Amino acid sequence: MAESGAWLDSQVLNRLMHLTLMARSPMEGSVSGLHKSPHRGSSVEFAEYRNYVPGDDIRRLDWRVFARTDRFFLKEYEAETNLRCYFVLDASGSMRFGQSPGGKLSYAKRLIATLAYITAHQGDASGLICAMAKSALEIPPRRNPAHLKVLFEALDKTEARGETGLITALHDLAERVRRRALVVVVSDFFCDLEPLLNCFQHLRFQKHDLAIFHLLDRAELDFQFDRPVRFVDLESSLSIVTEPSSIRDEYLRQFHLFLEHLRGGCHEFGVDYRQVVTDQDYERILADFLIERAHLVATSP
Amino acid sequence: MTFLQPFVLLGLPLVLVPVIIHLLNRLRHRPKPWAAMRFLLSATRSATSHAKLRQFLILLCRVLAVAMLLLFLARPLAGGWLGWALSPAPDAIVLLLDRSASMETQTGGSTKREQALKLLAQAARQYEETSHIILIDSATRIPQEIAKADSLAQLSLTRPTDTAADLPAMLRAAFDWLVENRAGTAEIWIASDDQRSNWWPDDPRWKSVVAQLGGLSQKVRIRLLELNQTTEANASIEIKELARRPRGVQGELQVVLDIQRNRATAATVPVVLTLDGQRSETEAALEGESYRWRRKIDLGARREGGWGGFSLPSDANLRDNTAWFVYGADIALRATVVSAEREVARDLQLAAASHKAEPAQVIPAAEITNAGLDDCSLLIWQAPLPEGADADRLQSFASEGGVVIFFPPGQAGPRQFAGMGWGEPQNAEAQEGFRILRWNEDEGPLAKSDEHLSLPLAQTTFARRQAIVGPKNVLAAFEDGAAFLARQNIGKGEVYFCASLPQADWSSLGEGPVLVPMLQRLLLAGGRRLQQASFAACGELSSLDLARQWVSVDSTRQKDIRFEAGVYRSGDRLLAVNRPLAEDEPDVMDSDEARKLFVGLPVQTLEERKFDVGQLQGEVWRVFVFAMLLFLIGEGILILPARRTAPRPVRGAPSPPRREEQPA
Repeated sequence: MAESGAWLDSQVLNRLMHLTLMARSPMEGSVSGLHKSPHRGSSVEFAEYRNYVPGDDIRRLDWRVFARTDRFFLKEYEAETNLRCYFVLDASGSMRFGQSPGGKLSYAKRLIATLAYITAHQGDASGLICAMAKSALEIPPRRNPAHLKVLFEALDKTEARGETGLITALHDLAERVRRRALVVVVSDFFCDLEPLLNCFQHLRFQKHDLAIFHLLDRAELDFQFDRPVRFVDLESSLSIVTEPSSIRDEYLRQFHLFLEHLRGGCHEFGVDYRQVVTDQDYERILADFLIERAHLVATSP
Repeated sequence: MTFLQPFVLLGLPLVLVPVIIHLLNRLRHRPKPWAAMRFLLSATRSATSHAKLRQFLILLCRVLAVAMLLLFLARPLAGGWLGWALSPAPDAIVLLLDRSASMETQTGGSTKREQALKLLAQAARQYEETSHIILIDSATRIPQEIAKADSLAQLSLTRPTDTAADLPAMLRAAFDWLVENRAGTAEIWIASDDQRSNWWPDDPRWKSVVAQLGGLSQKVRIRLLELNQTTEANASIEIKELARRPRGVQGELQVVLDIQRNRATAATVPVVLTLDGQRSETEAALEGESYRWRRKIDLGARREGGWGGFSLPSDANLRDNTAWFVYGADIALRATVVSAEREVARDLQLAAASHKAEPAQVIPAAEITNAGLDDCSLLIWQAPLPEGADADRLQSFASEGGVVIFFPPGQAGPRQFAGMGWGEPQNAEAQEGFRILRWNEDEGPLAKSDEHLSLPLAQTTFARRQAIVGPKNVLAAFEDGAAFLARQNIGKGEVYFCASLPQADWSSLGEGPVLVPMLQRLLLAGGRRLQQASFAACGELSSLDLARQWVSVDSTRQKDIRFEAGVYRSGDRLLAVNRPLAEDEPDVMDSDEARKLFVGLPVQTLEERKFDVGQLQGEVWRVFVFAMLLFLIGEGILILPARRTAPRPVRGAPSPPRREEQPA
């Protein structure tokens, strides 16, 4: 087991620290922060004028407008609040697969640890849900930097085994968390596509900003084998002996069909989808993710 | 379907090798933990039927390719229309060319051999590219492959010879070649004038060789080019007998010539005699188809040997117009008398005296084993028939060309010699005794004299005789049919049995008019033994003779003693080489008779093109090579990866990182 913070790379962090993790939609936080809030409030950021209605606080009347127009208008400002981010880690057995040491799970932990550090550093709260076969380890989001240690320890303890509990975990998350949050899911999504998309729809229905990292291994994409192989399922005891060359075309066809459907579903439900192959540099993946989000927030009305 | 190499089929289990390799390959799988199992299962389910079919087809192609290879190596033969369609040209064409002297008979301006070569070349030309053409000539019987059919006429193996042909032996040579070279479909083309003496239709070898040809895996077809047309007027000459005999202080050659003609009309033909290089001409008045001509050639005072020849004028066949001879030096022929009875021995000794008046040697029967018979030409035996080593000695003497004549021992006995033996002695009951009225006056020891006078055998009286038992050729018989003089041939010599003795109580033979010429003629006939090495039949020389260096004497042209008649010299030895006697026999077979010899084999004339295809088998290995290549190509296509080199990229899927981009 790695030590706490072993999933962090200081050099990577130094290069990414100037970036911020932004939510694409207004967040509901408990304290003021960097992110837009669905509520209007006192802030330095002007939002809009609106007509006065009885009951409004007369201290918020714009008297200068009244002097010019003889009508009552209230001046409203953008409320800015903090971000609550849930990192959902798929800890099913399939995440153990990979040609790199530790497989896809290690890659996922590295992504989550780095993002959690950046989140804490910008004053936002981050939590962790490790979706396992029958249960889910959940660490509620906290803003306290010391909370990172708890989160890292949980990452350390998480091992990939058994069938996936991702769908259950996501539905639970959507049901329990009523306030808008950023949900970051890191998984290979090797489960039934329709329930998975239902989860995404559920989360989006709850106004959560949903970003997913779809982890894949190069061997899964290419399926290059030249001899008969006995494939052993990482999530069950199932195994089959087959001649890869004889099924390769059909495998790739079905695999690519799945990827297209997943991508299409994500697009349909407004999910921020990112396909990641584990032989790619995770720093570049995160940098692209953070920059694109910041750019999106900056350019949105 | 049959196979030329059936033992290759023992390797048929090798067709399972691809299956075994496939199964072993599947057993050698390695375990691989896998995450995307759902796609694998789905792909396996979807692709199973197609993949299994593809896998099955690949294995089938490999198995069939191996099977086709094995079948090709086994050299299959297919019969019926299939074999004919797949193998229309024979694998080998064996030409059997009759080069005997009779094939030099001219018809229509060219000889039968030239016509045969022309026709064979025309027929074989269309098979030059597809078939092996093998020539077996009658003179050498050595198979030789011919590259170009048009070159047939230029080959030394197709030139004229003075030899005879032996068709069964040629067919045997063809069979041996077919077996040794494992030829496929074969045709044997026989070009011959169907001369009976060359075909040996009654020879038991025909049955065996035809049965062996019929027993070959590949069926053999026979095509006959028959050249037995009627020819123009032709005459042939051969020397039947030749003997040098003294005439006073001089010598002369007594020659008996046989002249065969295909015209029975009487004619006078000039005959050229060449004696030691000197030519002289005489005329022979011929009557009938077969004429025996006796000639005496005066040798003068010449003592040493020499050579000569008789030639007829040019006619349809130039190769049968000359007969060559060699005569030996003047030597005294010697007889040996074996008898224990003094009087009988004396009469016989005197009657068989040499021309130099040297009486014959007399020895008792017990000394015959040690007696020197090397310079003896006649052995007169008046004693119980020999047995054991003595009989073997006489047998050997006769086989080498000597003459043995047995006179009655006076007692019957169980012993036999040359199949003949002595029966019981008989005394004549009538006063005049036994009489002889008819005997062979044409040839043999009782023939007419040179002056055409009969021997006084009819006037000879016989009071006592001893029966000659066993199979025999009777030359003279008593009135009651009992043999007086009987003959059997042994090897090159002759054995005679005479039924009476030149003694007063037996007959009047002792008076001499019959006994003396009879024994003198036998003495001369036995002289062949001493001269036999001077004559040989062309193509039948012994290996010892062939090993010597021979120079032609009768011609300044270089001649080959193996194939050409003539007189040859090797050191001091002269040798006259003539056509085999059988080559002058005019009897030819008709087409049906020739075909019947090939019973069980398809026989057609060379002009006929179509065979009954049901009887034929063709070699079809090409089909199996083609099928093997087809299966290998099919297998190659099936195992080709379908667009594998560039897997369809996933939309949005990142490409593999370059080396410098990979994380540390």
